[in-house]
Amino acid sequence: MEPEGEPERERLLHTQRLKAAVHYTVGCLSQEVAEDKEIQFSKQSIAAISEITFRQCENFAKDLEMFARHGKRTIINTEDVKLLARRSNSLLRYITQKSEELALNNLEQKERKKKKSSAAKGRTTSDEQMEAGIAESEDSNMA
Amino acid sequence: MEPREERASGFRKETVNKILHLHFRDDKTKISSDALLLMAEMLKVFVREAAARGARQAQAEDLDRVDIEHVEKVLPQLLLDF
Repeated sequence: MEPEGEPERERLLHTQRLKAAVHYTVGCLSQEVAEDKEIQFSKQSIAAISEITFRQCENFAKDLEMFARHGKRTIINTEDVKLLARRSNSLLRYITQKSEELALNNLEQKERKKKKSSAAKGRTTSDEQMEAGIAESEDSNMA
Repeated sequence: MEPREERASGFRKETVNKILHLHFRDDKTKISSDALLLMAEMLKVFVREAAARGARQAQAEDLDRVDIEHVEKVLPQLLLDF
């Protein structure tokens, strides 16, 4: 086997591993639906849903990248994801709601951190610290 | 589409990140942590919709097992809705 085949095989293995991870989660989620609806899923139907989900990720990824680029950014943010969910009203509502929960969570976390650090320094919390927390809404980037 | 919070099943952030990165054209493209969490939610909804619609189709045909043809039947509308 030629050494040039190595990176190809690495990529294939990587993709296989990701597909397996998706398949596992699809299995779990389908099991939940099965219990809800009192029905069974054949192995092939779960494999099909898994395959479809993996393929749909390609569309999502490309769209997200385009949206960010359109906004002259290299970092995809939550607004891009909301754009992705525009086709169905209920989906958009759900995603928007999740996004607001996340933002609220982030705020609360920052509040807790600021309270801890100021308690450690022996100062009392003030309103100025809360404003500083609101200024930075998006947190760390994932490469 | 009804969300349910009681169960723990879902996509791991790292998995979603790696899958999306497979398809980015630009090396410099990154995704924020919050956006990743939202995408994990989105995928969860997608899978649950696919499963639920497949189940509804099988039940409409008076069957108690979802087979691949039920998934195939609901696929076009699912993709249009997403």
